[in-house]
Amino acid sequence: MLDKSPNNSDHILEFQGVSKRYGQHLALADVSVAIRPGVTGLLGPNGSGKSTLIKAILGLVKIDTGSGHVLGYPWPLQTRTIRDKVGYLPEDDCYILGLQGIESVQMMARLSGIEKTEALRRAHEVLDFCDVGQERYRNVETYSTGMRQKLKFAQAIVHDPPMIILDEPTTGLDPAQREEFLDRIAALSNIHGKSVILSTHILHDVQQVCDSVVILANGRVRLADSLSNLQRPARAGLHLQVIDHADRLSRELNLLGFQSQPINAQLLQVWELSDRSRSEIWRASSQCGVLIQRMEESKTSLEQTFLEIVSGPQNANS
Amino acid sequence: MPILDLGYRPWKGPLQPAWTRWLVVASTGISLVWRGTWLKRVLILAVVPVLAALTGFVIFEQSVNQPEQRRDFLRAMLEQREGRRRLNNQPTFSDRFNIDVDEVLKSPEKTRHVAWSFMLFAFFRYPQTFGMIVILGLVSPRLISYDLRSRGYLLYLSRPLTPWEYVWGKACVLFFLLAMITTVPALIVYSAGILLSSSPEAILQTWDLPLRILVASLTLMLPTTAVALAFSSMTQESRFAGFAWFASWIMTTITYGVLTSLTMIRDQSDPSSLLRERWMLVSPYQTLGHLQETVFGLTPDSNYQIMPWIVVGLVTLVGFGIAYWRVARTLKA
Repeated sequence: MLDKSPNNSDHILEFQGVSKRYGQHLALADVSVAIRPGVTGLLGPNGSGKSTLIKAILGLVKIDTGSGHVLGYPWPLQTRTIRDKVGYLPEDDCYILGLQGIESVQMMARLSGIEKTEALRRAHEVLDFCDVGQERYRNVETYSTGMRQKLKFAQAIVHDPPMIILDEPTTGLDPAQREEFLDRIAALSNIHGKSVILSTHILHDVQQVCDSVVILANGRVRLADSLSNLQRPARAGLHLQVIDHADRLSRELNLLGFQSQPINAQLLQVWELSDRSRSEIWRASSQCGVLIQRMEESKTSLEQTFLEIVSGPQNANS
Repeated sequence: MPILDLGYRPWKGPLQPAWTRWLVVASTGISLVWRGTWLKRVLILAVVPVLAALTGFVIFEQSVNQPEQRRDFLRAMLEQREGRRRLNNQPTFSDRFNIDVDEVLKSPEKTRHVAWSFMLFAFFRYPQTFGMIVILGLVSPRLISYDLRSRGYLLYLSRPLTPWEYVWGKACVLFFLLAMITTVPALIVYSAGILLSSSPEAILQTWDLPLRILVASLTLMLPTTAVALAFSSMTQESRFAGFAWFASWIMTTITYGVLTSLTMIRDQSDPSSLLRERWMLVSPYQTLGHLQETVFGLTPDSNYQIMPWIVVGLVTLVGFGIAYWRVARTLKA
């Protein structure tokens, strides 16, 4: 008999040894990962297995091996129950031909079990939240790419799921719409306690809203950690922005015993810091006549981490 | 900055059971096809033959105290030859169904049952089967192919819905339309017959006919819907599915006609009723017609065949199987 009740775990998703093969191609290779509540970025190059993993979570593809829990429900035994608790925004441009925007959202609410009239009311409410105006009464096939992204987002959240999976949600949005979209994701997570899995190629989006990151490559989880840990540099250092002649200041700092490296004419990196470092840096700046405009602690860029991990050895499983 | 912005609000409320979600697929599909004004016109046209059946019932029930008129009506109905061809060896309906009109007339109970059964059979067999071909040919091609083209199936299947339930929901759209032109009008005609009859005995004499109507409807709906959905699922271009649908009916009918004619030319002594049965399985139209004869109790016991049931059952399973396989397979892409 199936265990119908969710287990009490800190993780919204736990997978062990999940594998999926399409013919000769190994899409997921012994994937084991645990995701905590919050916004999690799912990163990986094309063909890394992100979409297969998402479809596997929803039970849309049958896995070869592996097991786990999603929102506490045994997976893949109860994928139907899990689909009821998850909102999914597919990467593909998908819509029902002939339906108006409002009808599409209402239909998705009804597919999640909401009664017809209540589904219509809820659809209006969610479309308001997604900033879809009178366009909701137009047929979906006439929508622009940006409008379709908003519509898919509304469809994903209309039944108020505790977990939302967004596959490339900001594709086709202009910068202003993208910011609004990310704000909505942050609001859903921070205010309403939703857990979000955000699959994207846009690292800026991940940096802006994600709490943690899972990086997939060649069907394997190469890294799963919090974003703050990922952005912590291996060595403590400072990032200096100057008006010009960063090389001159760098030479001065090296003479004082720092390790310094100019990045370009306006930027340089400084390591080997001590308690007196900052005052000495100001003094060096004064001595060589290079004005410091901005000083901040060094961070490893997510892009750098991503590229290092993706191009690294294949068996570096988290 | 808005004066009032409710933003996102959580939702709590009762949910419908998961096993009922296919109804949403069906109701959405019906709502979409119902928007076409052309469909409504075709449906009205398809229901017009019910007037002929209704007229038959009225004439029959009006002749209750006029045995000669009743006999003439029954003879006119049963002693005509099927189809336009007036071949010498083309049997009449009474020959084909082994009905002795004089014998039937001796029993009022049997008379009413035979007359009503034959009129309902004729309603299903000729105008409504043709109407079914036209309506399914116009509606069914886009049911799944549109979703495959616009990837709408991902929206359905990302909710608690299996590919089987999705296909079943789509099938229910066609069941609804076919019921509108077969089951509902036939039941209306039957009810009118009961109301027109002067005696409450009519209910006892014909109680089985509503059940036969339901079985005849299912016999028509299930295999044709399965095949129509299989065609629709095999392409993203609905016009190809529509072409395949009409072409299969036309080609099988032509093949049946050619084979029957060739056999008649080769062996003149063959009665045409046997010819029909020999090549019947080549033509879905003839096969479905034979099954409807059986369902309405018109096939003589000596002429009962199991093979058409098996073939129609297999076609139904294969048709739904293909539709399921195509939908399930697209998820892997």
